[in-house]
Amino acid sequence: MKRFEVLDRNEIDEIDDATLTVLERVGMIIHEEEARNMLRKNGASVDDKTKLVKIPRGLVKEGVSKAPGEFTICARDPKYNVRTTCDVTYFEPMIGRLNILDSRTGVRRRTTLADLDNLMRIANAMPNFQLLHSGAMMPHIEGVSDSVSHVYGYLSGVNNAQKVVKGTGRGRKRSDDCIRMASVLAGGMESLKKTPYIFTTCNTIAPLQLGADMTEGLIEYARHGQPVDVASEVQSGATSPVTLAGSLVIQNAEVLCGILISQLVNPGTPVFYGTCGGIMDMRTGNIALGTVEAGLINAASAQLAHHYGIPCRGTGATTESKVLDMQAGYEKTITLLTAALGGINCLFYPGVVEHALTISLESLVIDDDICGMVSRLIRGITVDDRHLAVDVIENVGAGGHFLGQKHTMDYLTQEHYFPTLSDRKERKDWEKDGARELKDAAAERVRQILEEHTPMALEPDKLKELNQIVKEVEERERAG
Amino acid sequence: MGSKELLDNVKQAVVNYDSQSAVSTSEAAIKSGVDPLDVLDKATEGVKVVGDRFQRFEAFLPQLVMAADAMIAVEKIVEKNLSKERRVREKKRVVLGTVHGDLHDIGKNIVFALLSAAGFDVTDIGKDAPVEKFIEEAKGMNADIIGASALMTVTIEGQRELIDELERLRLRDRFKVIVGGGSVTEDWVKEIRADGYGKDAKQGVEVALKLIGREV
Repeated sequence: MKRFEVLDRNEIDEIDDATLTVLERVGMIIHEEEARNMLRKNGASVDDKTKLVKIPRGLVKEGVSKAPGEFTICARDPKYNVRTTCDVTYFEPMIGRLNILDSRTGVRRRTTLADLDNLMRIANAMPNFQLLHSGAMMPHIEGVSDSVSHVYGYLSGVNNAQKVVKGTGRGRKRSDDCIRMASVLAGGMESLKKTPYIFTTCNTIAPLQLGADMTEGLIEYARHGQPVDVASEVQSGATSPVTLAGSLVIQNAEVLCGILISQLVNPGTPVFYGTCGGIMDMRTGNIALGTVEAGLINAASAQLAHHYGIPCRGTGATTESKVLDMQAGYEKTITLLTAALGGINCLFYPGVVEHALTISLESLVIDDDICGMVSRLIRGITVDDRHLAVDVIENVGAGGHFLGQKHTMDYLTQEHYFPTLSDRKERKDWEKDGARELKDAAAERVRQILEEHTPMALEPDKLKELNQIVKEVEERERAG
Repeated sequence: MGSKELLDNVKQAVVNYDSQSAVSTSEAAIKSGVDPLDVLDKATEGVKVVGDRFQRFEAFLPQLVMAADAMIAVEKIVEKNLSKERRVREKKRVVLGTVHGDLHDIGKNIVFALLSAAGFDVTDIGKDAPVEKFIEEAKGMNADIIGASALMTVTIEGQRELIDELERLRLRDRFKVIVGGGSVTEDWVKEIRADGYGKDAKQGVEVALKLIGREV
């Protein structure tokens, strides 16, 4: 189906040109020394005192051209390997947030390791989630020492999900720990470098900055050939121009700079062009991600990424609501729809509430259902002889019905999406069944999955090795 | 032009977020004999108008920040024209910064503008600021308040380190410490024994005013 295009060809070129001008004339502040040295060696002008790097456009173009247009990330169950291209639409649920919306009390509280296990199991069971965030990214898991939260978080991920699991890129040490754990799934480091089993996000800091921690992560993952999502989170009006076009320029500059660094480290490193852009709500001073503006930024970002021949990671199912109410419903749907229709290849953030700061088990199941609807939408309408069904129409004739036709049975599940949670009963039946609202249905589905769903068990020798790594990291941190 | 009209022009310039006009109307008023402190009061009235509009969602953050900038511009003119003896109301001083390891400063920048507009003398030491820099600057300018911002849970320890270091140097009682940023909570403030916290820029200013004994 033709995707929703926000920009025409000229506008893409103008944004690209403005981006290259900004990188040449304004530059990026890059805190990490190795990255600055690599850029200097390749012709960028670097001031080590201010850490400002001005990058010639030729270098940017050359670097970006080396990033591949498709790549595979493996899961410990090969059935769930993800082949990423510029044409697919996959969903990445959020897992590791500092706070969780408690299912029983409705109160927001700190996320524990037990919560992570549950969140991961739900994500594993959901039919529409393919690339899973994890607790590895959490700087704090309640009950776990901060120095080892990344390894405990990653272990909880791979132990409770057989799908692709994300690792942290926060600093060299933590990145290496997670990459080492991923190598256990791959059957060794050499194997891992040939076929990735882990990916991460490197976030830039708008406007036009790259922090040391995230750059170290970017370099480590690139060095090991593991995919990196270089993602910019502009707050239009505050950390980027209030105009969305200007916001795209800032984002584009940051992302292309990060991608360039990854290709200088290791040409051919798989990357995502990432957007998490939104606006600053000018009445509260808070970021607003569940917005139509974010939707537009996502759609335009997909076009820009594909112009560079790179798969695009976007952000959707976001909301500023603190609870799962109608505001959450429409904000999540608007952002998911616009991103998917726009052509985003990896759609991140299902599961969140409250400016994406808080995770919710119920939100995961609800958002999975919306993702299913969106997936059906972007498949569009198939028009061919079988689908035009003239022969079936002839068979049924004027005034007949199609319920009993084999054709109906043959094509039903492809043509119609069956929501897991939406209630479509007649009022009297709905009342008879307890007049349930969506949140009750979602809570019941969470309960059912946690009771019945068992992820494929991790092989005992791999689990042993992973536990051993966690123990070694713990000892190292205690000694350090 | 009478002094009332001249003063109204100053207020209007601030209400219109127009720094250039704020400067020229202030200079015109002072040149024609209007008391500089009256000019300052009128500019403050202008900021209050914009502040009230902000509360009612009739004006937004950019307007508030620009009105504050216009106010700061007026203050510079007023300072220049006040004799030392007449500096009746000495400004309270604030050192503002984002803690080390943290590069996020948009919130702090908004607080800077609002504190300045509220009449504080604010020095911004920037982001990724080590504890020593906060303390050196605070000592050097004889600050009343130190404001430390941290967005992330991984950098928030910097706020505790600042307070611990002040205690170690026996300087804790000399400065009020307020903290702010995305990951700050009431519990954290109690835990590190900070003097106050602004969950957003507006509240930060209210807390700062309360700490110096000037309720809003």
